Amino acid sequence: MTRELTLSKAVNEAIAEEMRRDPTVFVIGEDVAEAGTPFKVLAGLVDEFGTERVIDTPISEPGFTGLAVGAAMTGSRPIVDLMFGDFLFLVMDQLCNQAAKIHYMSGGTMTVPMVLRTNLGATRRSAAQHSQSLHALVAHIPGLKVAMPSSAYEAKGLLKTAIRDDNPVVIFEDKLMYQDKAPVPEEEYLIPFGQANVLREGRDITLVATSSMVQVCSKAAETLAAEGISAEVIDPRTIVPLDEATIVASVRKTSRALVVDEGHQSYGVTAEIAARIAERAFYHLDAPVGRIGAMDVPVPFSPALEDLTVPTPDAVADRARALCKGGWADAA
Amino acid sequence: MPHEVIMPALGMAQDTGQIVAWLKAEGDAVKAGDPIMEVETDKATMEVEAAHDGFLVGLRAAAGDNVPVGQVVATIAETADAPVPDAPAGDAAKDTGDAAGTADDTAAADDGAAAPEAAPEGAPVIMPALGMAQDSGTIVAWLKAPGDAVAAGDPLLEVETDKATMEIEAGHDGYVAELVGEAGEAIPVGEVIARITPEAPAAPRHRARGATPAPDTASGTAPAPEAAADAPAPEPAVDATTDAPAPEPGGRILASPKARRLAAERGLDLARLAEAGHPQPYHAADIETLAALPDTAAGTAPGAAAGPAAAPALRLTARVPAAAFDGFRARVAERLGAPPPADAFLALAAAGALRDIAGDTGAIAVDTEAGPLTDPDLTGLGALDTGGTAAPGLAVRDLSATRLASLDTGAGPTPRLTLTRRDDTLEIALAAAPGAIAEDDAIALLAGTAERIEDPLRQLL
Amino acid sequence: MARATAKTNTEDYIRMYTQMVRIRAFEDNANQLYLAAKMPGLTHMYSGQEAVAVGICEALEDDDRITSTHRGHGHCVAKGAEFKQMFCELLGKAEGYCRGKGGSMHIADTSHGNLGANAIVGGSMGIATGAALSAKLQKTGRIAVCFFGDGATAQGLWYEVMNMAALWKLPVIYACENNGYSEYTRTDEIAAGSITARAEAFGIESFEVDGQDVLAVNELARGLVERCRKGEGPFFVNLATYRYHGHHVGDINRDYYRSKDEESEWKQHRDPITNFGKWLEAQNIASAEELVGINDAVRREAEAAVAHAEAAAYPDVSEVDMHVHAGIPHALSA
Repeated sequence: MTRELTLSKAVNEAIAEEMRRDPTVFVIGEDVAEAGTPFKVLAGLVDEFGTERVIDTPISEPGFTGLAVGAAMTGSRPIVDLMFGDFLFLVMDQLCNQAAKIHYMSGGTMTVPMVLRTNLGATRRSAAQHSQSLHALVAHIPGLKVAMPSSAYEAKGLLKTAIRDDNPVVIFEDKLMYQDKAPVPEEEYLIPFGQANVLREGRDITLVATSSMVQVCSKAAETLAAEGISAEVIDPRTIVPLDEATIVASVRKTSRALVVDEGHQSYGVTAEIAARIAERAFYHLDAPVGRIGAMDVPVPFSPALEDLTVPTPDAVADRARALCKGGWADAA
Repeated sequence: MPHEVIMPALGMAQDTGQIVAWLKAEGDAVKAGDPIMEVETDKATMEVEAAHDGFLVGLRAAAGDNVPVGQVVATIAETADAPVPDAPAGDAAKDTGDAAGTADDTAAADDGAAAPEAAPEGAPVIMPALGMAQDSGTIVAWLKAPGDAVAAGDPLLEVETDKATMEIEAGHDGYVAELVGEAGEAIPVGEVIARITPEAPAAPRHRARGATPAPDTASGTAPAPEAAADAPAPEPAVDATTDAPAPEPGGRILASPKARRLAAERGLDLARLAEAGHPQPYHAADIETLAALPDTAAGTAPGAAAGPAAAPALRLTARVPAAAFDGFRARVAERLGAPPPADAFLALAAAGALRDIAGDTGAIAVDTEAGPLTDPDLTGLGALDTGGTAAPGLAVRDLSATRLASLDTGAGPTPRLTLTRRDDTLEIALAAAPGAIAEDDAIALLAGTAERIEDPLRQLL
Repeated sequence: MARATAKTNTEDYIRMYTQMVRIRAFEDNANQLYLAAKMPGLTHMYSGQEAVAVGICEALEDDDRITSTHRGHGHCVAKGAEFKQMFCELLGKAEGYCRGKGGSMHIADTSHGNLGANAIVGGSMGIATGAALSAKLQKTGRIAVCFFGDGATAQGLWYEVMNMAALWKLPVIYACENNGYSEYTRTDEIAAGSITARAEAFGIESFEVDGQDVLAVNELARGLVERCRKGEGPFFVNLATYRYHGHHVGDINRDYYRSKDEESEWKQHRDPITNFGKWLEAQNIASAEELVGINDAVRREAEAAVAHAEAAAYPDVSEVDMHVHAGIPHALSA
């Protein structure tokens, strides 16, 4: 049986199911209990599980992230709620120096099974400190896994897998998608890490997209299809681990690739995936590997400016069209 | 169980310590914590304590001696008359050559100090670790020249790290036998940068780092063949044209990697698309257009009017970077002990390319200046077969060691490959008489040879 | 010396003495390994502070948790670790507690509840508090001790986690080993006001104790551990102690921040092992010969462990991408 759920409700269900299944799972973060977070994603959880397992904290991101690391090392499975992805900068030591490295530094004797849930995405008119997409930052650090759900269905399946994983996992939800609905089965399901989802098959170009950019690329693919250009759309689902094989096989087939991600373009996810394609599918490429990330500027407040900074279906279609027709300036 | 007393590392930037005075004498009883000697470094003077209870025996250095860190200077034994153990072969992290560089006149009984493995060049001076996060130091200036007499405390060179600039002392009395590295060069910590001999050296020298006579230390600096092979080398530029229409000079054809691969697989020449006026860059879709172009020969080429039925003479050239081929040649010469005939390399590459085209059809002979070689691509350079009887289908000539930039003697009966050099580039020209080789085969032969010259390791695989 | 409680007995005293001697012997050997250039990297000596680690750890159960610091060999020994695996770790050998991947600053011995040393000053404060949260949520009855130095009291994380620990009454003891120096700087130059008062501001009961007096430390710790288990935590203890060496083994010339007279004063009159040994003799708990016997036995154990570690094998190169992710044997060939 399948029903339509919002992404927000899908996340809520995933956490509730895992908390019922495993008494060591708990949620910790700012305003997670009665408030249910500013986005109301966790609304109602405290009624079922109480304030012992849905723990409101002071505004102390490094502190409660550090507590989660220690709890994870000693038999608990904490889910940290980091209200905005921008606050990652506050928790870097606990996440990247501690959680990411403890399994390795201890020669495998300790594990840190924790999930850090946070978000990404601009165009909420929230300006530069509440709009960033910082997943590349944590994907750079060995020891962390990074999941990027692109729909309610993906969010539930990936989060449940994350909670059961014995490693620290950072999962980024797009805060503009919380109210987007998608079919979600009533039966339990998990989505394994490191297995990309091919949403749409195509012949002429491969569009690799993360998180909400999957929607953007699907729309672009519709536009292109009407013009006779057949685009394949791939959602890697997790950027660590990355399903390089599926991406490379697709590009070898289509001979063209465009990578779309909402992180800043420079030194980011688009750069990494484009490089892997160039390394492993070079002799199959009939056009340069294209990429579109967020503009390399702090996210501006004014709607007139902010909307310029993120990839759009039109921008993706334009670039894909140029690549397919051999008309992209960089090629000449 | 006897315990060694060693010259301790007292600071982070220190590789020797000078014994100011022994505070205990040979045979004295000592307790752990008792000061046994006074040691001076560039920064301070301090007492070194006994780490164990026992009797101090086997003193191997005297007051005034400069002793490398980690070297044994005495032993604490359980009895005053315990036999002194032989000097150990040396501490793991230290060059055993240190022992020979120190004054050891008090260690008459110590035959270990004169161990045969002592480095004959003298005591090494190493690039010291001067900071916590430092893995190299940059030579600012040498303060002594090869052959200079030095005292242990004399500044030998000035070194700069990210944090500070400081002088490094010679550490030994004697003469500068060798300096390694130039001002401005960053030297990894722990690497030997100088040697000090007790006697005036016969041939003091200042050598470049990496230009080392010792083969086992060269690993970090030798040009790695893999790295050369992996480097993103430019595509071999194959300009293949018939004699008749003048080729577009010097133009590199712009095409996607896939279009190039498809063209190569089908033996098609992308330059013909350019001649036919198709705009670059070329993509996979253009390969069909290329394949559908009328044969270059008859009718289309202006020069062909003279003999419409005759096939044209062929002259094709390819250019590749010279570095990988030169490196390969040098290594082979080094491995074989003597360089094989110059032509042999080209013969090897050409035979391999020819075999790719013809399939395994039996012996392939290639004519070289030294006579025909049979199957050089199969025998390898170490066991060239000069006694074969097969008629050469191809001749090669390697002029890359000469100043000749090009050579056109006209096409003989046998197609000939000629290798010449221009700056950092090798040019390979294929000349063939009309009808001597099919055009497609000529293109594939030259392209295949060029690929092998550009990436010589490939043909060994 | 503080008066012994009736509950402790000869065996406890002898074990505390032995453990302190073991820490000193471990550090003396580690120092020798560094000086002889046999140990990669560098290390931070615990010598002088033995009564802190031993006094507290002897009040803990084996599965109570501790977090340790870059100056952590003492905590590791006191919590029950073996010399062999410790020396192997210091030398980067495969038999080390962390298979040579952690080294001196990251030794963790989970078999005895040591969640590991931490090379970020104050970096383990969240971990210790989280271990206490875990214990409370899962009602294990375990407590956590967070060891840190006076230098770490300048880190903001401490104030965040103390706040939560106090709000939620977590079973954690914050043990500040106040050795008077924050790396190369006198603590009174970096700490404003009273460190104890900082904890008290969160409503945390706080204590001052002579960190050179193992009996005083142990007596206080026993009481606090018991109260923690009853849900009366958290607590803060400021232990006045002294490090005999510099900040690290290479910090030799330290006249610019600390005088030799001060060092010899502590070594001659305040040494925790010497003074406790004298007390044991005075109380007729152990004779001088018995104490010498302990010292000799420990020294032999340490020397044998060093020899073992020096001869032990390095990890195979294939281990370099192991333990990046749990459940993935080799991260780079997955």
